[in-house]
Amino acid sequence: MSPGPASALLAALATAALLADHIASVAAIAALLLAVCVRAGRRSRPYLLGILVTSGSVFLLTPLVESVGSHVLWTGPIVPVIGALDVTREEVSYAATQALRLASVSLAFAVYALLLDHDRLVRAARFARRSVLAVALATRLVPTLERDAAGMLEALRGRGVTIAGARGYARLASPLLSGSLERGLNLAEAMEARGYGRGGSTRAPRAPWTAIDRIALAASAAIAVGGWLWL
Amino acid sequence: MALARAERLSFWYPDATAPALDDVSLELEPGELVLCLGASGSGKSTLLRAFAGLVPHFHGGRFAGRVEVGALDTRRARPSQLAGIVASVFQDPEEQVVLNGVEAEVAFGLENVGTAPRVIAARAQEALGSVGAAHLAGRSTSALSGGELQRVCLASALALRPRLLLLDEPTSQLDPDGADEFLGLVDGLDTAVLIAEQRPARVLDRADRVLFLEAGRIVLDAPREEALRWLARHRPAFLGRELLPEDEPERGDIVCRLSAVSYSYGARVAVSRVDLELRRGEVVALVGPNGSGKTTIAKLASGLLEPAEGRVERRGRAAYLSQDPGRYLVRERCDEEVALGVGGDLARARRALARVDLEPYAHRHPRDLSSGERERLALACVLVTEPDLLVLDEPTRGVDPERKEALAELLRADAPRRGTLVVTHDTSFARSVADRTVALGPVRELVYA
Repeated sequence: MSPGPASALLAALATAALLADHIASVAAIAALLLAVCVRAGRRSRPYLLGILVTSGSVFLLTPLVESVGSHVLWTGPIVPVIGALDVTREEVSYAATQALRLASVSLAFAVYALLLDHDRLVRAARFARRSVLAVALATRLVPTLERDAAGMLEALRGRGVTIAGARGYARLASPLLSGSLERGLNLAEAMEARGYGRGGSTRAPRAPWTAIDRIALAASAAIAVGGWLWL
Repeated sequence: MALARAERLSFWYPDATAPALDDVSLELEPGELVLCLGASGSGKSTLLRAFAGLVPHFHGGRFAGRVEVGALDTRRARPSQLAGIVASVFQDPEEQVVLNGVEAEVAFGLENVGTAPRVIAARAQEALGSVGAAHLAGRSTSALSGGELQRVCLASALALRPRLLLLDEPTSQLDPDGADEFLGLVDGLDTAVLIAEQRPARVLDRADRVLFLEAGRIVLDAPREEALRWLARHRPAFLGRELLPEDEPERGDIVCRLSAVSYSYGARVAVSRVDLELRRGEVVALVGPNGSGKTTIAKLASGLLEPAEGRVERRGRAAYLSQDPGRYLVRERCDEEVALGVGGDLARARRALARVDLEPYAHRHPRDLSSGERERLALACVLVTEPDLLVLDEPTRGVDPERKEALAELLRADAPRRGTLVVTHDTSFARSVADRTVALGPVRELVYA
């Protein structure tokens, strides 16, 4: 499948997850995207870890800050500002739906980042090519940061320094960020030197869409509408 | 008529008090190969950027004088407008790759300058072939080695068929054969080429003219023969003279021994059944073509990788210098960065900085240093630990010839205290520093010289 229709399909699944009302529908979408995502093998690990942490946090915290439902499962203390920390069945269900929605959107992005050919996507972009390229470059951030972090840890080991504990790893965040900013600047310079941004650009010919691509596009529209109306 | 011209060009980077270029005037003729030499920080890269229009458009700062390329004044024409007439390859190939696929990467510039779509693929293939990288066409850029990536960047520049080619240390990650091949190709172009190099010997053989920069000023602009005489008199290190080790080293105990060691990255075999022994007191250079497994052996020797087969024995502390000095930029100050390896001992850190002539930079942020200075900072970071086994992976990238001589002297002076393994493409440096050279062939057999 061409990357254009494939990204439309992913966007449609993410949209359907956001619009769907039934938790089973959202869970099914999340499960489908997870099954596709794990096809990337080891590369999917940092994405899955991030999704687990963020969605898990949403699931755990939402019942504590929401006040809906009457079927109390647990009665907690009264906290100033927040109020009573009661957890109801309705709150747990709502938290699970929200967590699954977040997981679905994140998984759709992970599949986009890990499995799609961004070069072909940039070439296929008929409009907003700059934005498509910017997104393609941004998706490289996760694997690049992962590689930088591994390199930095290796260099530290090579000089006898062992990083341990969350605090030790957190200290690497700032140098990693400044390194990525420096790299971004160097890349921007190289792109400008290669003519990026001047008028009259062309594109290498791309392969025409196949029947599968057209079906995927039609399915994308159907999934989004279906998510809104029926799921 | 000159293809490109700089007239009384001076340039100050933002917030800099001293100019990076100071009253520079020169002309570049079509088809001419001009070699630009000078110490780290002398303004070579800035001069190249001025001809690409990146100075001042991209970097800001204060610009005086005038630069013209193909009758376009760089003060009015943006770098993107100059692209196609000019093509640049910068020092670090990893930081100039835009796309994931090699073919798409080479085609990127062609698309930007409006090349007819039907010829883009053919031009990209031709350029890859011309730098011996046709076999990389279907690969992902993220899976390439530094040397392979450098070839792809060169292909991207050549695909544009520029009238002026600006090359900033284009062979720093290529093995000697690859560097020869590339320079032979550049030499045969009709294009004017301005090339900044820290391994000048190869380019000196082919250059029509040589420039020498000192603190932003051109102190030499002469045809090759005259330049060779000037360099011999004033800056002999740039002629690639070899300071051969004077004495036979006194070999001590074994600090590292690799016995029938193998290692693979997934399905790709990196090294197979390698034997290597390193004794205290000797400096061993490990050389070989790109992708022959030098870095893997270095990491196995220093304990950063565990062998899949075979055995690695080490005595005492090992330290490893990575070929990417950007990995030694963890702290906010140079002395704190170096002190990280010795439990925060700033006095030891400053002594280590002094050994690589960086003591005046002790309070500076490591990211404010030039690439050559970063390389020396990284060296200080590993030297400060006083290891029994010192493994250096490409320690001369971005380092000028005079600093290389100083580094060779430093390693020689310290040699009796440890075993030293130097991985390098720089054959001249290898001869200057090593008692023994171990050459890796394409089938990873070791040849002792």
